[in-house]
Amino acid sequence: MLSHSPTEHRVPSSIYTVVQPQQPTMAMDLSSAYEQQQEGRVEEVFAVINDNGDLLAEVLGRLDGRSLAAAGCVCRVWAGVSRRESVWEAVCGRHVEGGAAAGAGARPVVAALGGYRRLYRLCLGPAADRLGAAARLSLSLSLSLFSIDCYERRLGRERGHPRPASLLFLDHYNPVDVS
Amino acid sequence: MKREHQDAVDGGGSWHPEAAAMEDEKGKGTMGAEEDGGDDELLAALGYKVRSSEMADVAQKLEQLEKAMGSSTAANDDALVSHLASDTVHYNPSDIATWVDNILWELNASPTPLAPRPPSPPPPPPPAVPLQNHHHQRHFDLPLAGPEQSTITTVDLPTAPRRLADNYDPKPLPAPHAAAGRIVYGSDAQSVVAPSPRDRKRMKVCSSPPSSSSTTDAAKSDKALPVVVVDTQEAGIRLVHALMACAEAVQQESLKAADALMKQITVLNTSQGGAMRKVAGYFAEALTRRIYRPQPHRGVGCSSRDSAALDNILHQHFYESSPYLKFAHFTANQAILEAFAGCRRVHVVDFGMRQGLQWPALLQALALRPGGPPAFRLTGIGPPQPAHSGALQEVGWKLAQLAGTIRIDFRYRGLVAASLADLEPHMLLDPNTGDYSDGGEDEEPEAVAVNSVFELHGLLARPGALEKVLGTVRAVQPRIVTVVEQEANHNGGTFVERFTEALHYYSTMFDSLEGGALAADAACGGGRRDQGLSEAYLGRQICNVVSCEGVERTERHEALAQWRARMGRAGFDPVAIGSNAFKQASMLLALFAGGDGYRVEEKEGCLTLGWHTRPLIATSAWRVAASAGGDPIAAAAA
Repeated sequence: MLSHSPTEHRVPSSIYTVVQPQQPTMAMDLSSAYEQQQEGRVEEVFAVINDNGDLLAEVLGRLDGRSLAAAGCVCRVWAGVSRRESVWEAVCGRHVEGGAAAGAGARPVVAALGGYRRLYRLCLGPAADRLGAAARLSLSLSLSLFSIDCYERRLGRERGHPRPASLLFLDHYNPVDVS
Repeated sequence: MKREHQDAVDGGGSWHPEAAAMEDEKGKGTMGAEEDGGDDELLAALGYKVRSSEMADVAQKLEQLEKAMGSSTAANDDALVSHLASDTVHYNPSDIATWVDNILWELNASPTPLAPRPPSPPPPPPPAVPLQNHHHQRHFDLPLAGPEQSTITTVDLPTAPRRLADNYDPKPLPAPHAAAGRIVYGSDAQSVVAPSPRDRKRMKVCSSPPSSSSTTDAAKSDKALPVVVVDTQEAGIRLVHALMACAEAVQQESLKAADALMKQITVLNTSQGGAMRKVAGYFAEALTRRIYRPQPHRGVGCSSRDSAALDNILHQHFYESSPYLKFAHFTANQAILEAFAGCRRVHVVDFGMRQGLQWPALLQALALRPGGPPAFRLTGIGPPQPAHSGALQEVGWKLAQLAGTIRIDFRYRGLVAASLADLEPHMLLDPNTGDYSDGGEDEEPEAVAVNSVFELHGLLARPGALEKVLGTVRAVQPRIVTVVEQEANHNGGTFVERFTEALHYYSTMFDSLEGGALAADAACGGGRRDQGLSEAYLGRQICNVVSCEGVERTERHEALAQWRARMGRAGFDPVAIGSNAFKQASMLLALFAGGDGYRVEEKEGCLTLGWHTRPLIATSAWRVAASAGGDPIAAAAA
């Protein structure tokens, strides 16, 4: 039932799959699909999540951190979408006091320090593990810790130190550095 | 189980009634007998060795023994006797003092002879905590009730440890971890819980002499829970006594006695585990330095300014493995951030730059503040580092890179100064404009903040240095001065007082490190290494406090109240650190694994971080006092 587009890196939005009797499935935009359906030539129109990156991002952005990381292992499409900063921004927003609105202005700073995905992995995720999912860390505290880590990496890079340990106190497990 | 020296007691039969008989005789004969030196002759004739000078002490303990035994009913008597006779380790009763001690411990250990308490399964360790305090309090009281008694107890040491070594079962030493259960007495599944090292060490020194009522209270409250491992705890208490006695001997310059005690200390220390052993080890080493090198000269490893590279590494690990420095940085940053509200140009002077770990967080906070970031200037002051000159500049460069990524206008200046007292106000000028506060028409003056984390106490070693530095600070007209110092008085009174205070303080700190490392161990393996290096960092401070004097002794910590007075005299008013800092600090501590023991408290506008009930470091904020005859600019800014 999946439509195969040969180059699947950029998933264009609003591609709908159309099932026609005794014909191979076809992909087309929404208006053509419904037109065909009106004309009775089409049995089913459905959207395939893998073809809709934005839709997928919306859905994945509602997951918690661990599930989102797991979702990134499903397939290449999902891996690509799950690495979007916007998705992780949504996840981080749920773990921070004041919610996503408070964090909007922080976007450039977070990006400069390493991005939301890293912020979650280093600070918010372990903190949520430690304090429970309902707990909210203040944005300033989490960003402070994040900035220290970023700084320590810079310090360590030249001297060949092992990975910075300031945030190790947050770790629950031995994380694998996949950055 | 061993039965030893049964034969040494004459008169056959169980030694239990013998002891009771002896007790009456001693009770009559010894109250008030104050012959010193040598064993009591009457008792010696009967085969009991008691030093005349300890008689009162021993008599008191025998009274307690009688009470404990007497309170049991007839039915329990049999149980008691059989328990004591068959299942336990026997101690040489001819050394009355030790024997009574041990029997008392045993009685408190076994549930049967003490009537009101039902035998209960061992509770989780936390409820045992206050009781261990009480236990310690009792034992601590007795020797400290009078100075003559304390020396007596310690003179006892040359004989006692050897006996202890003989008579105790060679049980394996307890694991250094807290709450390791141990079966001390093999009978009827009495598993006793070893006290966690932190409990063992929370010993309160009471100056008031004990009364027998307090000891019986202690005995009663002990009954509710099963007790403690006897041998290590007992040895731990003796170890502390030995350390204190050694300190006294050093103060009185009786070096032979100090030397003898030092040997005892090393023996006793081997029986300890965990935090206690390490702390005692560092203190013993420091005392050794003091004994054998009385002339103050360049003590290796005692001054933090020696081997600055090593100091940096230790400092780094201390930063990573414990929350103290992070707490200091976060609370100071919050105070600075609030003081800088609305300012477009800011200047921070850091008295102890090191790796600059405090500043990324402030930079980030300034970048995100409403109204956008200010123009930021940082002056970092550090000691000369011959091995790695340019370290200060390198740190500045790294901070500049970070500031660049988050788009803050950043300027840095590093100043190398062997002592803060060498600083002059003109060195802190803005090199571009040549004035602290730019007098230009369109530019507003710089808002200055001065930050000192554990840097001020070192100035107390030289008279007048602190006043000079505070004068320099005033001259720069700062909006806020943040000071973080240890909350302890390691600079006052006699050597023994300093020693005692330091022993308590560093014991608590080592306990907290132990607690943190345990949790870190569970998480990832790096905890232990960091802990060892953090302890070495503290060990250097201990060495300095104990073995150095005069100008060498730079770890002259003073308590918050004393710093308040000093800052007040120098013309500063306190600024209350707001609740935001308190919340952030509490949240930070909550994130620390093993952080249950940490306490953030607010004390008259200052924040303290402590372990359980003991505050260990304190952050305070100050501003220049608004004075009538002072600088008009300062008056306007205040």
